[in-house]
Amino acid sequence: MAEARKSGRVIEAYPPHLHVHLKPRTADVSSQQFVEATIGMKAGPQYPEEPPEISIIDSKGLDEQRQKHLTASIRDKAFELASCLMLVALCEEAVERLSGMNHPDGNCPLCLYPLLDEDAGSNSLPFMKLMSCFHCFHCDCIIRWWKWTQVHSEKEITSSSSSTSRIMQDQQGMHRMMEESMGKCPVCRKVFLAKDIEHVLGLVGTGSYLDSDGIEIDDDILHSDSEKIRRQKFEAILNLQQENSGLIEPKKTEVLLPGMFLPQPVAFPPTEPDVVPSDSQNNDQAPKSETKPGSSFNRPGSRKHNGPTMRKHRTQNSSKQVRQWVRKDNVS
Amino acid sequence: MTSPSASSRKALSKIACNRLQKELVEWQVNPPAGFKHKVTDNLQRWVIEVNGAPGTLYAGEIYQLQVDFPEHYPMEAPQVIFVPPAPLHPHIYSNGHICLDILYDSWSPAMTVSSICISILSMLSSSTVKQRPADNDRYVKNCKNGRSPKETRWWFHDDKV
Repeated sequence: MAEARKSGRVIEAYPPHLHVHLKPRTADVSSQQFVEATIGMKAGPQYPEEPPEISIIDSKGLDEQRQKHLTASIRDKAFELASCLMLVALCEEAVERLSGMNHPDGNCPLCLYPLLDEDAGSNSLPFMKLMSCFHCFHCDCIIRWWKWTQVHSEKEITSSSSSTSRIMQDQQGMHRMMEESMGKCPVCRKVFLAKDIEHVLGLVGTGSYLDSDGIEIDDDILHSDSEKIRRQKFEAILNLQQENSGLIEPKKTEVLLPGMFLPQPVAFPPTEPDVVPSDSQNNDQAPKSETKPGSSFNRPGSRKHNGPTMRKHRTQNSSKQVRQWVRKDNVS
Repeated sequence: MTSPSASSRKALSKIACNRLQKELVEWQVNPPAGFKHKVTDNLQRWVIEVNGAPGTLYAGEIYQLQVDFPEHYPMEAPQVIFVPPAPLHPHIYSNGHICLDILYDSWSPAMTVSSICISILSMLSSSTVKQRPADNDRYVKNCKNGRSPKETRWWFHDDKV
């Protein structure tokens, strides 16, 4: 699994000098990737007696402290493995560390309050990540800023175009359309596309962010059911990730959904009520539908969808199974 | 120096207040080297003492920065000026206005008072000559009516100093 997370460039064959691009193991789902790094490993003529020089060539989502931590742990590993050929092992170490760090860290750069407030629990504000640079912001902070820039650039254009000819206006209109589809990260000014934040824009109504009265409305949205569900999902993923030091694998016992009985509604003889759907069946469905394991029970869509079949199922099968469902429901 | 534009400013929004309180706490824990915040009960105007960095043209000199925050800070940049007498610098006018792009066109809401201070000190430290901008007299005359530097259409000279 880890091999797929690496790609590298050989700067010098001997003594080996490599730049290796590393992603955490959980990076299969791009929305769940918060860090990545390109590590430089430069071996001297004494390699492997003398450990290679380790440096971070480039990284995303890692602040200075986490960068230091990453290089320090790779260096430690290098000393530990001195006199062995170690470059692959060092990459493994780096991926391991990156996987452990695969969560956003620190404060929202716009409001300066923590992105992940552990004290706040489920009241923690939702945040999002810009795909181009991995900088994270609270959703309402970045949207407030985005709308501000939109309104601001509009004003500028209307004030500057009042005395110009039609052709000029058309040109500016074109220019504006180009501008509107792009933004610059407030932290690093890296250009991102408007579609990167579209999914967050959908969460809120238009315009309300600029007037101070809008704050109340925003609070309502943040406490809406869909938002709570989204937070619960994220927390479940995060907990799972922390337990497994970054590794997410669907747990078989946790992805048993009512709908999974669906394909064989009458396949169970009433005499064997305890039989759980066959493993292969389970495995087929689990990884596909459960890119976010542990959250399945909170998904309103799937529950709604499966509801009717579940009831149907109940009438057909033994009471033991019915009890099983009740239990699962309570868990959720 | 008090500018009329400052007195007619709107009060800080709730968001601006929260953010400034957070900045103030962070400043108290971890102030930028060479700066001292003068404690007042006015969150909307900070007065900050700047110590010229050792080994630079401004070593041992002390200046005062006045930072005024707009209603929609940090969406809008704060107004940052030196309280005269301002340091002699090719990008600092004698009325205290500072020609520094991050205070105007290049402002980003991810910047903080602390990061502004560091930029200003770095601008001072990299100066090789103590002199006023070439257009100082003309500019200062144009600002006689109390115009804020934020209303100036700045043309940024260079990025060497």
